[in-house]
Amino acid sequence: MNGFLIVNGLSGLLIVSSLLVTLAGNPANSARFYALQSFILVMLFVALAGATGSGELYLWSFTALLTKVILVPAIMYRAFRRLSDPAIGTGAVMPTALSIVGAAVALILCFVVASKVTLPAADAIKPALAVSLALFFIGLACIVAQRNILKQVFGYCLMENGSHLTLALLAPNAPELVEIGIATDAIFAVVVMAALGSRIFDTLHTLDARQLTSLKG
Amino acid sequence: MTAMVPSILPPLLLIGPLAVALFLLTLPRFRDSLPESLATDKGSVALLERIHLGSVGYVFLLSVAVLIQVLSSGAISAFGDWLFVDALGAVFMMLIGVVGLMTGLYSIAYLRHDLESGAIDAGKVRIYYGFFSLFLFTMLLAVTANNIIMMWAAIEATTLGSAFLVGLYGQKSSLEAAWKYVIICTVGVAFGLYGTVLVFSNAADVLADPHQAVLWTALVGHAAELDPMLVKLAFVFALIGFGTKAGIFPMHAWLPDAHSEAPSPVSGLLSGVLLKCALLIVIRFYVITVGTVGTAFPQMLLLTLGLLSVGVSSLLFFVQQDLKRKLAYSSIENVGLIVVALGVGGPLGIAAALLHAINHSVTKALFFCSAGNVLIKYGTRDLRAVKGVLRVAPATGLLMMGCALALAGFPPFNIFVSEFMVFMAGLNEGYGWIMALCALFLCITIAGLVKIVADSVLGKSPETMAKGDVGWKALAPLGVLAVLVLTLGFAVPQPLSNLVQQATAVVMNGDSRPVVAAPWQKYDGQTYDTVRAGGQLVTGSLSQTEISK
Repeated sequence: MNGFLIVNGLSGLLIVSSLLVTLAGNPANSARFYALQSFILVMLFVALAGATGSGELYLWSFTALLTKVILVPAIMYRAFRRLSDPAIGTGAVMPTALSIVGAAVALILCFVVASKVTLPAADAIKPALAVSLALFFIGLACIVAQRNILKQVFGYCLMENGSHLTLALLAPNAPELVEIGIATDAIFAVVVMAALGSRIFDTLHTLDARQLTSLKG
Repeated sequence: MTAMVPSILPPLLLIGPLAVALFLLTLPRFRDSLPESLATDKGSVALLERIHLGSVGYVFLLSVAVLIQVLSSGAISAFGDWLFVDALGAVFMMLIGVVGLMTGLYSIAYLRHDLESGAIDAGKVRIYYGFFSLFLFTMLLAVTANNIIMMWAAIEATTLGSAFLVGLYGQKSSLEAAWKYVIICTVGVAFGLYGTVLVFSNAADVLADPHQAVLWTALVGHAAELDPMLVKLAFVFALIGFGTKAGIFPMHAWLPDAHSEAPSPVSGLLSGVLLKCALLIVIRFYVITVGTVGTAFPQMLLLTLGLLSVGVSSLLFFVQQDLKRKLAYSSIENVGLIVVALGVGGPLGIAAALLHAINHSVTKALFFCSAGNVLIKYGTRDLRAVKGVLRVAPATGLLMMGCALALAGFPPFNIFVSEFMVFMAGLNEGYGWIMALCALFLCITIAGLVKIVADSVLGKSPETMAKGDVGWKALAPLGVLAVLVLTLGFAVPQPLSNLVQQATAVVMNGDSRPVVAAPWQKYDGQTYDTVRAGGQLVTGSLSQTEISK
């Protein structure tokens, strides 16, 4: 039972780190915080693997360490470090306090939804399940309420971490290949977004999503 | 679920375009590696064109081979059932094969023009052909995937594979379109991932072997054992996710931008094939959901979103002045109509949806490529400037007129046949008022299409415009598509109606054979009149031997 307590406890840290990613001053810092969050996620996978006795999850933890903690943040850090658009500041369209309140409300709603899930596998880890869903929606909010197109990429990464956590919690024995498929796709997605974002900056000299409005109607 | 026949064909189908894409995209110094005689702009482009033709031709031939095997021996599979092609997948695979080949052929003339006009350089030609093959590969993977996680990954990969095609011209507007395309679709498809994960986790709990829980065929077989609440939630997520990619309202925001900014052959491929591939995944989730919670819940969602898509897009279609944006909204409308037909349900509704997907695919690919010819001649997509196409470029003008009449749903063009079936299915299932609303919205579209014909195709051409059509290389593939549009409008060929029937049986998860034919078509001794007269037709009165004739 202790293992599940650690899982639920670590999931709380995921919410904190996702707020750090969202609210960081610039994309390079977001990349650092994203690496931190992914590290917490890996620890959570390990704790979950111990609690459920799932061999696959240990493998997952390892691939997640490679892709999410090292590779993806490194790609983003390298690509985004040289790009900055002082005109948009942090790029947030909402005050920080409101973002935090919003995240808390999302978390409460997700707790309500998670409490209704009747799967036996979900009994011990409902708080973590709620967090995984909340992580998904915080990611979505990070994209919608963000003017900096590079930070929108992190929104996608948070959504992806959320889905990944749900998968690990509900199906800890999923074949390793499933997890590799998701992780690989996410890497390509980040590479493509980083490449496009850089091209937009080089061509248009802005990172502001609100400047991208020549197509309408 | 009947056993699937192992076959080498699905992996063969996939490997060709993948190999070409990797070859073209991973050779950074492609030109330097060529022999001296080819290391010029002209020489390297000619070589690229040949490789590209080989790729699209290969995909077409292999699709035909797979289709023949599926029709003769039922569903085929490979790699421990991770890949499979059933009749339903075969419908969409054929769309990739046929439309991929025609837009691929058209690309040659189109890119040569872009190259001459300086819109792109020789390096971009390599990028274009490389990503074209990659795009075909990702779509083929989506329609041949039996592993639901792979299905999701393939749909996500279609976005990544085509984003650079959308942004090919590197201008402000095309980069903006590419960015919106990537962000909206990736986020949308993240919803799809969540839906997929929910279904999979649920099944992993129910099925003894988690390796089975990832297979669509196993999920359909055990759908009744899944948790209804989770499956409902998963269907909503999947509908939002893959619906984003399919261009269903209100997740369609990327579509008009991407379709209008992409090179015209790519627009044809996006609208004609990509949207349909995403719809296939929605249909696959629909089958699982129906198996768990019955038809009421998914059909209600499909009808609502479908009707909204048809309504909103018909109005936006009418007011657009940009030809390709207009066509993009028309795609949303037709996808909406397909979704309505799925929502109507019943064998006839499902068959109508599938036939309309096929017909719209061919017609819209043709229209986008014709719009490409207009762009070549006029240098603009603005309908206020495009006048008198028929005088300036007679063949293109005729093609455009044919497309507009076809899209408006006039006989003897193919869209009429499938739209007629959609309406018959709707009335049969008692959705009279929804069909009336659809008819009303379609009238708005007809008005918009008549305006294109009257002002742009017929009107008075600008004095300064040089007369003369684009070359035969740009017209020949369009001619083939036009022949398809007309042929499918006169009568649905027997092999195609067989395929659609078998695909319908896959969706209905049972044996049901709706009549798939034009209203005037003799159908194994019966005419379509029996549908109109008898409501529920029919299907029972056709014996298996009659069908297989």
